[in-house]
Amino acid sequence: MSQTNHLTLHLKNDLAEIERVGEAVAALCEEHSVSAETVYAIELALDEVLTNIITYGYDDGEEHEIAVRLTLVDRELNLEIADDARPFNPLDAPTPDVAAPLQDKPLGGLGIHLVRTLMDHIEYKREHEQNVLIMTKKIA
Amino acid sequence: MEITQTQNGEVLIFAIQGKLDSLTSKTFEGRLIPPIEQGNKKILLDFSEMDYISSAGLRVLLLAARLLSDSDGKIALCGLKPSIKSVFDIAGFSAVFPIFPSLPEALDELKK
Repeated sequence: MSQTNHLTLHLKNDLAEIERVGEAVAALCEEHSVSAETVYAIELALDEVLTNIITYGYDDGEEHEIAVRLTLVDRELNLEIADDARPFNPLDAPTPDVAAPLQDKPLGGLGIHLVRTLMDHIEYKREHEQNVLIMTKKIA
Repeated sequence: MEITQTQNGEVLIFAIQGKLDSLTSKTFEGRLIPPIEQGNKKILLDFSEMDYISSAGLRVLLLAARLLSDSDGKIALCGLKPSIKSVFDIAGFSAVFPIFPSLPEALDELKK
């Protein structure tokens, strides 16, 4: 029986689209017996990155397309997100002080912190007027 | 996501079912924050049926906890699944939120 190793999704810049990504990730991971914990990490990382792009990336009120490519090779999942939003390198974002007491805890920046912690490798490039973020996660 | 709200004495209990993501967190914020602003001081969040939380959901929890701390109120959480607990750990939330295995234990704490 052949297994799916590659998947491309094209999303509109609408938060309601993110659910579709989660479902596709869950289906792909189920085929490859990925642990529930790893599926959560992958779904969360994609959710956080896409939410940032959709919420903060555009100010023209127009519809845009975001491409999400998932590739599973040698028990490593590659996630590539390409968008034409304003240039934004999540690797440049400051690390929030998560050890701060309640009143000083930062309300922002947590999403990117989760992504950086949960993924094994993250790479950002700006090419052809697009942000391209590549994240990899080892599949146990 | 489904939110079930119940009252037990002065404790307001919110049970979350499903996913607390960027979309559903707005609904959750609209249900959780107004009662706190109206003076409810004891809040219990039952996460035993919650499968997923993102930073958008964490943000709502932080807002609630800050409001409660300003008004001498209390918040307690219960029933976190292991994957939810790891997100809490990474975000530094496990250190500031009282987390209990079960609802009765969280209720006991809030009723003290």
